[in-house]
Amino acid sequence: MDIYDVLLRDFPFLLKGLGVAIVLLVALLMIGFVLGLGICLVQLYGPRSRLVQWPLMLYERIFRGVPIIIMLFIFFYGISGVWDISAFGAAVLAMGLRSAAYQSQIFRSAFQSVPTGQMMAARAMGMSKIKAIRHIVFPQAGRHAIGPWTNEFSSQIKETSLAYVIGVVELTRQAHYIITSTQGNVLTVFAVVALLYFILNRAGNSLLYAFERKLAVPGFEK
Amino acid sequence: MADDLILDVQDIKKAYDGLEVLKGIGFGLRKGETKVLIGPSGSGKSTLLRCINYLTVPDAGRIYLNGDEVLDTNIDAMRARMGFVFQDFNLFSHLTVLDNVRICQVKVKGTDKAVATQRAHRELERVGLSDKADAYPAELSGGQQQRVSIARALAMDPDVLLFDEPTSALDPELTGEVVRVMQQLAAEGMTMVVVTHEMSFARQAADEIIFMENGHIIEQGPPEAMFTESTHERTRAFLNVIAEHG
Ligand SMILES: Nc1ncnc2c1ncn2[C@@H]1O[C@H](COP(=O)(O)OP(=O)(O)OP(=O)(O)O)[C@@H](O)[C@H]1O
Ligand SMILES: [Mg+2]
Repeated sequence: MDIYDVLLRDFPFLLKGLGVAIVLLVALLMIGFVLGLGICLVQLYGPRSRLVQWPLMLYERIFRGVPIIIMLFIFFYGISGVWDISAFGAAVLAMGLRSAAYQSQIFRSAFQSVPTGQMMAARAMGMSKIKAIRHIVFPQAGRHAIGPWTNEFSSQIKETSLAYVIGVVELTRQAHYIITSTQGNVLTVFAVVALLYFILNRAGNSLLYAFERKLAVPGFEK
Repeated sequence: MADDLILDVQDIKKAYDGLEVLKGIGFGLRKGETKVLIGPSGSGKSTLLRCINYLTVPDAGRIYLNGDEVLDTNIDAMRARMGFVFQDFNLFSHLTVLDNVRICQVKVKGTDKAVATQRAHRELERVGLSDKADAYPAELSGGQQQRVSIARALAMDPDVLLFDEPTSALDPELTGEVVRVMQQLAAEGMTMVVVTHEMSFARQAADEIIFMENGHIIEQGPPEAMFTESTHERTRAFLNVIAEHG
């Protein structure tokens, strides 16, 4: 059997690995989105007390300052000592928390790019702070965030492959299995895998760009 | 407190890090009155206007709107009853003109959307912008944006409108269209406090002009008296400067 037959035969495994990568990606981005937005809102509009702000800052610094591969090891081996966590669970948690740190930054600068006059005008009309954020500031900040968020999406797709090191059977690990079983052919197999990552990346990017265009406000430059 | 006053501003004081900007300012407005606030740059006009709706919280003093005191605790409800028109418009840039004029009716007052839409169209007609309902703010001229922001304030059916230099960010040729709208409002009996250097507006539409300097009211009176027979050297000097530089 030459490598092409093997690839053809084992292609379903690659697709399965791709599926795992996509689930991991979606899960970590969702955790990152919800937590990141929450952190950003507390940082910008929450109590100024150090008791609240310092832990958030510390969290952000740590998760942005430590290599993801170390985080994966810490979360998997560290947590599995006290609590039975699957490799996939550890990857979602470590990468989701890390993405939250990055996404909070994306959202923070998007919110800060909305001119202060917008909030002022909303408050002057009688909107509460929460209503003003929800109806006036967030819709504008959200539009500004899509571009940088697309970057985060792209880097996270690529980073899902690192979950390989703690044994998550995602696309890269599936590729590795094929390589071990056929002894060699590294280049061909990884070329196919690279293509799969690339397609996923392009597809996601196109979707996000389309979303950005759909929400664009006529005459309104950033 | 005189109870026929729509807006009653009493002894407002405000300091920024020790710099006293307002040193005890009071004045009142009856229904349908227009008062124009003038004074040199830095005299505290904007600060005073922003203290009235607590965009800046005063250090001391009281504000009554139609007999109700403005407080931290009721501020959103009180602001809904006071329109504020900013120098740089501050239209909600992600919303169409129609939505700009409609959103606060719906989200603040809980007005039914169909009713709010009708009202929005009526106010846009009033400022001469019916045909721009579907445009976005960035597609409008400054003068048009300012007229939309006036319509946005009017749609809340406010007891009083506060204007902070509504024409200062506009090219001279666009000033006229905004001033005309304001004159029309004054004539229709809107109650307004206007900070402006447009002396033609002050002369024509103001019931009273208030001259401020250094955080004090130096002098106040009907426009004719202020322009022709002001007894205060400072007022006369200021009005002369304004007259020369427009
Ligand atoms: N947020 C602030 N922090 C510190 N100082 C301020 C603040 N806002 C205003 N001031 C100061 O208060 C004084 C009065 O400012 P204000 O804007 O009320 O004047 P104004 O009469 O509106 O002037 P202009 O005609 O230039 O608009 C100025 O000295 C200004 O520097
Ligand atoms: Mg000012």
